[in-house]
Amino acid sequence: MNTMKKVLALVMALAMCAVCFAGCGAKTSNYAANNTEFFIGGTGPLTGDASSYGISVQEGAQLAIEELNANGGLNGITFKFDIKDDKATAADAATGYDTLYEAGMQASIGSVTSGSCDSFASKADEDGLFAITPSASAANVIENRPTVFRVCFGDPDQGYLAAEELTANYTNIGAIYDTSDPYSSGIYEAFAAKMAELNVEFNTQTFDAENKKDFSTQVEALKDCEVIFLPIYYTEAGTIAKTAAAKGCDALLFGCDGLDGIAGQLDESVTSEIRYITPFDATSEDEVVSKFVAAYEAKYNRTPDQFAADGYDAVMTIFEAMKKANVTDVTISAQALCEILVATITADDFTFKGATGEMTWDESGACTKVPQIVVLNK
Amino acid sequence: MPVKTNRKRFKFKNYISYIVIALFLIISATLALTGYMNRSTQNLLTQIAYSIILAVSLNLVVGFLGELSLGHAGFMCVGAYLGCYLANLLHTLIPSKLAVLIISMIAGGLIAAVFGFIIGLPALRLKGDYLAIVTLAFGEIVRTIFKNQKVFGGALGLSTKKYGSTLFIVAFVVVLIMLAVVQNLVRSKHGRAITAIRDNEIAAKAMGINVTYYKLFVFIISAFFAGIAGVIYGHFTTPVLYSFFSYNYSIEILVMVVLGSMGSINGSIIAAALITYVNFLLQTKLSGDLAALKYLIYALILITIVIVNNAPGLTAIKERFSIKRFLSKITAKVYKPKYDPSKRKDDEAYWHRIPTKIQMDEVLSVDVTPDTTYTPDKREEK
Amino acid sequence: MSTFIDGLSLGSIYALIALGYTMVYGIAKMLNFAHGDIIMVGSYAILTTLAVNGHPVLAIIAAILVCTVLGVVIEKVAYRPLRGASPLAVLITAIGVSYLLQSIAQLIFGAQTRPISLVHFEPITIAGVTISLSAIISLVVGALIMICLTLFIKFTKLGRAMIAVSEDRAAAKLMGINVNMIILVTFAIGSALAACASTFYVMQIPNTSPTLGSMPGIKAFTAAVIGGIGSIPGAMLGGVLMGVVEKISLSIPVLAPYTTALEFSLLILILLVKPTGLLGKKRREKV
Repeated sequence: MNTMKKVLALVMALAMCAVCFAGCGAKTSNYAANNTEFFIGGTGPLTGDASSYGISVQEGAQLAIEELNANGGLNGITFKFDIKDDKATAADAATGYDTLYEAGMQASIGSVTSGSCDSFASKADEDGLFAITPSASAANVIENRPTVFRVCFGDPDQGYLAAEELTANYTNIGAIYDTSDPYSSGIYEAFAAKMAELNVEFNTQTFDAENKKDFSTQVEALKDCEVIFLPIYYTEAGTIAKTAAAKGCDALLFGCDGLDGIAGQLDESVTSEIRYITPFDATSEDEVVSKFVAAYEAKYNRTPDQFAADGYDAVMTIFEAMKKANVTDVTISAQALCEILVATITADDFTFKGATGEMTWDESGACTKVPQIVVLNK
Repeated sequence: MPVKTNRKRFKFKNYISYIVIALFLIISATLALTGYMNRSTQNLLTQIAYSIILAVSLNLVVGFLGELSLGHAGFMCVGAYLGCYLANLLHTLIPSKLAVLIISMIAGGLIAAVFGFIIGLPALRLKGDYLAIVTLAFGEIVRTIFKNQKVFGGALGLSTKKYGSTLFIVAFVVVLIMLAVVQNLVRSKHGRAITAIRDNEIAAKAMGINVTYYKLFVFIISAFFAGIAGVIYGHFTTPVLYSFFSYNYSIEILVMVVLGSMGSINGSIIAAALITYVNFLLQTKLSGDLAALKYLIYALILITIVIVNNAPGLTAIKERFSIKRFLSKITAKVYKPKYDPSKRKDDEAYWHRIPTKIQMDEVLSVDVTPDTTYTPDKREEK
Repeated sequence: MSTFIDGLSLGSIYALIALGYTMVYGIAKMLNFAHGDIIMVGSYAILTTLAVNGHPVLAIIAAILVCTVLGVVIEKVAYRPLRGASPLAVLITAIGVSYLLQSIAQLIFGAQTRPISLVHFEPITIAGVTISLSAIISLVVGALIMICLTLFIKFTKLGRAMIAVSEDRAAAKLMGINVNMIILVTFAIGSALAACASTFYVMQIPNTSPTLGSMPGIKAFTAAVIGGIGSIPGAMLGGVLMGVVEKISLSIPVLAPYTTALEFSLLILILLVKPTGLLGKKRREKV
């Protein structure tokens, strides 16, 4: 019986080896050699807590790809897009990256969340693969990585901007941020630094991933403030707005681009005015934006949020840069394409007008675009 | 069946797992170093290696000591953060990556072992599910604390220096070392003392076994290896993120142990490898819109396996259609000892049937008179 | 003061969830890790009914029905075949069920957080303290449910049968009690309690997502253990304690980031002093 078990174990283990090696081939220098379409890849949280962000990016990017292919692709070559689930973890982003890279990925939209994008970008940097992340806004994602770019604002910039905006108009300021989230704490730290520099006192309340459902304590502590700064995402901000209403607090709620999409979270009970700095406004009259919003609503039956717009723009940016450089070789290696894309995208005359505004890039990988302030519930 | 003797003799079956893993390591290392293995396979192997380390070390606590632990990821978290922090410092001093990795593994393991000692202390006082929730709490406390330390990168996680894709070779060497340690421990008098504690703590105490010592000892060893697994994880990917080490991950390790059947080291190895591989397949094959199906499939596999393996009602059907029986029919011609399930001996160990500590508490406590569910007679009833 | 009230109302939600945990544990002797996800299903039932019909009362009834049926189905399909198997096997199945429910919810409703407007109460001010009415309602109803449950268990035939099963399954069987039936009823009640918890949950925190149940689930489980698992007043006490500690810790800025650590440390401390929880029964061992 026991020997039998061991033999079985041996057989299974050997079978495992066989299975493992089945996928192996000789090392090739260009995995894209057999491509028949341009292959853009990426990873994002498609399951788990952060999945709503990942799915939005996926839908936005998918929409862009379909639009491109419907218009005949680039020089007659269509595009292929694949996004792997990384559950917002670094290890899964690395696995997803390897799989995509070996499947012939030529350019990428990086990862959705900052932590996994750090992992993705470190690999992209080693391999010399072009990555333009839609939404990983932490400063370290693009730092010292010449092939990594982003579509969204950087966290520190938003923090500085918010501090200036708020101190100019208000005196009694409060803030609520998520200590477990890189985006939120990134903005908050920059905000706090700027406030210290401007010598303005303010109150802070925090929450974390384990406590992000109920905000009665935080709102209670800040209910006398004129304005509450919310460098967080729209789902939590929506809850805060409703809690504020339930607590009889009328403070202005002021946030960053993460707040985009909050309109869908509110109901008639919310009394506070909400403002946020964002490059994307779904209600905008702008031609590109309204076209994107209409197409997205037709396909997915809901209003796109900033993540969807960023995903759309990331893919479109790659396309525009490739179009400008007139890439015709479908089997171009990731490294060769990366050189072309980096050179094109950082060139002075390259601007791209997408759903999140008109953008230019420099060598650092950061994106320059003009933010606007959206006002809700006036 | 080999002839039973009292003398110690070389038994092939005792060494089969070393041989398989060593062979596997040699083949895959050659392939990798000559460039015939692609990077994603190498990274999968790294993941399999640290999963094996985690599963086997957890099996020491759950399968051999009989205490349910839901905080194994906590030890891994300690090892990953502190070991990799040390590695980051050492990289400026020592040029060799391998040396840094080895030093940080030892250091990470030792620090995790200290935490193992700390968590072993309540284990002396608490039983069963109460201990389980305490270990779960420990895991959550540890990662909450690391999350809030600016030194370790806060919410952004600790940036580490990756070792490269040949990390799996080192990781599998660690697996071999760990196997040597654990197999020898389990088969020694200490191992028998530990299983005695699992089967009946009071009786073990009466036999003069130092329960306190052995309980702490198992927790320390188990935490040590989990810490090493954490360091390997940190060298596999950057950054080390606190969110990875949640209780969900502890549970995933527990799933490996339970599916591999508790108290079976080879079982843990196979289950860890298979589950990691299945997760890898699900993650890489189901992309885009299909990703949501991942957990659905995983959950269905999990429930089916557990019910098929453990349901008392299915035992008869299982024996009739068992693959083992089918295999034994084939192998009977080539392979000497005939296997016949109906002639199974009474003294043969049935690890998954042997009641755990938790069940033993039920049996032994005053409030509960022997329950049909737990008495050995029940087995005959089926 | 207001923080304290908030803590009480959060605690009442934890308590309701913990009651379900503790009942199932006490009688079926298993940790039902899928309990938190039944709450999530309840919240989606409310969401769907509100979208179709729009009446809150109907939505609450629908949630209770859906959850009860779901609890019974899960028990029959996933846990019943494992009666008599190792508790760890049952634990793993429960985890499998939890994953299953989450992924099904994501497939049907999407991963996005969906807002729910069940009922809206104007805040009221008593002695200078503004309190949201939903907090008070959930607290009062939570206490009522606990009292009813205690009375039910103490004074009805079914309830006493439950006690019998939890004390000694074999003896209960000999006394003519249908053990499987009792366990099924326990799951039904536990799930109905989960539906109540989800009602109060969406009343206070008006949105839902597929992972809604996991963290409250684990905290409620902690609460059940703090109170002494298997004890109904213990679950209530543990839940309220957890809620109050969480809220107080969150209101102190230095402690706020460490709230989860603090709650779990409280658990460890209590268990070290009282190894079977605050109101848990002590069990003696003999060979």
